[in-house]
Amino acid sequence: MNPPHLYSKSEERRAYWLLVLPAVVIYWAVTAFPLLFSIVLSMTDYSGGPIFAFDFKFVGLHNYVSMFKDPYFWISLKNNVYIILISVLGQIPLGFIFAYVIFRKLVRFGDFFQTMIYLPAVISPIVVGILWQTFFSPYGPLTKIMQHFQPGWRSTFLLDPKRAIIPVLFVMLWMYTGTYLIIFLANLQKIEPTILEAAKIEGATEFQTLWHVILPALSGVIVTTIILAISGSLKSFNLIFAMTQGNPARRTSVLALYMYDTAFRGAPNYPKASAISIFIVILSIILIIITKAVENRYGGREE
Amino acid sequence: MSKASVSYKSRGKEKKSSMERSLREEIGPLPRIVLYVLLLGFTFLTLYPLIWMAINSFKTTQEFLLNPLGLPNRWFAKNYSLAWRLANFSTLFLNSILYTGISTIGVIWFSLAAAFAFAKIKSRFTPFLYGGFLIGILFTIESLMIPLYLMAFTTGLVNTRVGVLIPYIGLGLPLGIYLCTEFIKGLPDSVIEAGRIDGASYLKIFIYIIIPMAKPVIATVAILNGLGIWNEFMLINILVSRGNLLSLPVGIMKFSGALASDYGKQFAALVIGTVPTVTFYLVLRNRITQGVAVGATKG
Repeated sequence: MNPPHLYSKSEERRAYWLLVLPAVVIYWAVTAFPLLFSIVLSMTDYSGGPIFAFDFKFVGLHNYVSMFKDPYFWISLKNNVYIILISVLGQIPLGFIFAYVIFRKLVRFGDFFQTMIYLPAVISPIVVGILWQTFFSPYGPLTKIMQHFQPGWRSTFLLDPKRAIIPVLFVMLWMYTGTYLIIFLANLQKIEPTILEAAKIEGATEFQTLWHVILPALSGVIVTTIILAISGSLKSFNLIFAMTQGNPARRTSVLALYMYDTAFRGAPNYPKASAISIFIVILSIILIIITKAVENRYGGREE
Repeated sequence: MSKASVSYKSRGKEKKSSMERSLREEIGPLPRIVLYVLLLGFTFLTLYPLIWMAINSFKTTQEFLLNPLGLPNRWFAKNYSLAWRLANFSTLFLNSILYTGISTIGVIWFSLAAAFAFAKIKSRFTPFLYGGFLIGILFTIESLMIPLYLMAFTTGLVNTRVGVLIPYIGLGLPLGIYLCTEFIKGLPDSVIEAGRIDGASYLKIFIYIIIPMAKPVIATVAILNGLGIWNEFMLINILVSRGNLLSLPVGIMKFSGALASDYGKQFAALVIGTVPTVTFYLVLRNRITQGVAVGATKG
């Protein structure tokens, strides 16, 4: 590819490192290094103060044991699973249906509907969280609306530990369905129009076209969106932080928030928080491996 | 990958054939009504809370508590000036623009440089280094929150702009490098060889040939990174606590804590926080949706 007579090997090598090194250094400094740091920290009893004073002992896997024994860990993990479920059973199917309907022009004004459904995703999760917190609050409009139908109705949604996660899941559906719509729509548009026309000419019904032509063509994308949903659930910190702060009684916490609380609320416990972060990392690595395996099986993402 | 950018707007114009009109009729009236109800329902759900928020930003807190649903009796625009001063929105906007602008320029510059090397200079280090960046796309950045804070604390970078910008740039690189590398791989080698024959150094080729040709991918990276950093909250929330360094989301978050029951100002602050990104989206709608689709399926 590079004719050697134009550039000497050493010049080529120098240019390579000059171009690559700044990115590599910054990237490794904020990912690989903190990761190693976190692994070490998670096995100590460090309790604040200058780190390089080395004023701490190694305690082995103590922090991991303490994490697995903590009921809040399991509550948070369970909420992460709920968030994955609302994505896989709510956002992804709805996003697909909307994308399909718009792509096949089964309704008019597809462009308008697409804009409206995606709109919430561009708003800051902090704004969205505060807005819906007020909406669902006992003083909020939900109470007034419901009292029209049922006098004396009170909004206990965000106060009831058992049900507080429901409004959070609703807001996630509200916020992220549009993202899946956009992903599906972009990939639907990559399907060769001639294939669809051929199906039409051969007399396939709308449903047959969907089932035998379109869905198989999108199998890779569907897998990708599910992986996105899972990793997205691990990233759901901001919205919940603004909407409920994990309350009531930390029943709407997720792993990232549980880690934040362990590190920054009350008495800081950095080693245990690091153990939680390593747990999240291991989870994501498992996800990456599954992605790769699935990709190989389905012949890669849609290209 | 760049094929994803088939604008469906143009496709919509190119075929208004009888085939599609008949498709709309073929599915029958009942399913069509169901679809419209579903779509209009979602549209209503998007618009109603936003309109409700905007209307209530013109009520005093007392009026909001008595009348959370209707229009205000008296339009109380003062909420805006009060909220603006209370949260110091001038500073917040300036900081958000600085963080977003500098980190996005940084991500684009470093991404393009590394991508050029990965795509066009042969090296046995590329699989390892490039692979490291690719892993970062799927990596959960949230998990680095605590060590990043402790590192910033140890190096004295807590409560500094640099301490915010370094992780913003570093964590934006994986997607930037991936998109740029794939793009530059698609550029013909002949363009670069022409530069070489003219005796240009790699640096010159990079600046005068690669960067001008990479405008489409620069736009995509700028949109994705810009929106992400503009809305970023988690990291800056722990890295910065001094009022004059906060960004918009952290400033707005104040209206949820101590000021949560001051609804008039809270709604005004929320509107102020909503307007920039929604305007940006409505103006650059097609570009943004393309960018998100490309970025997400690779992410």
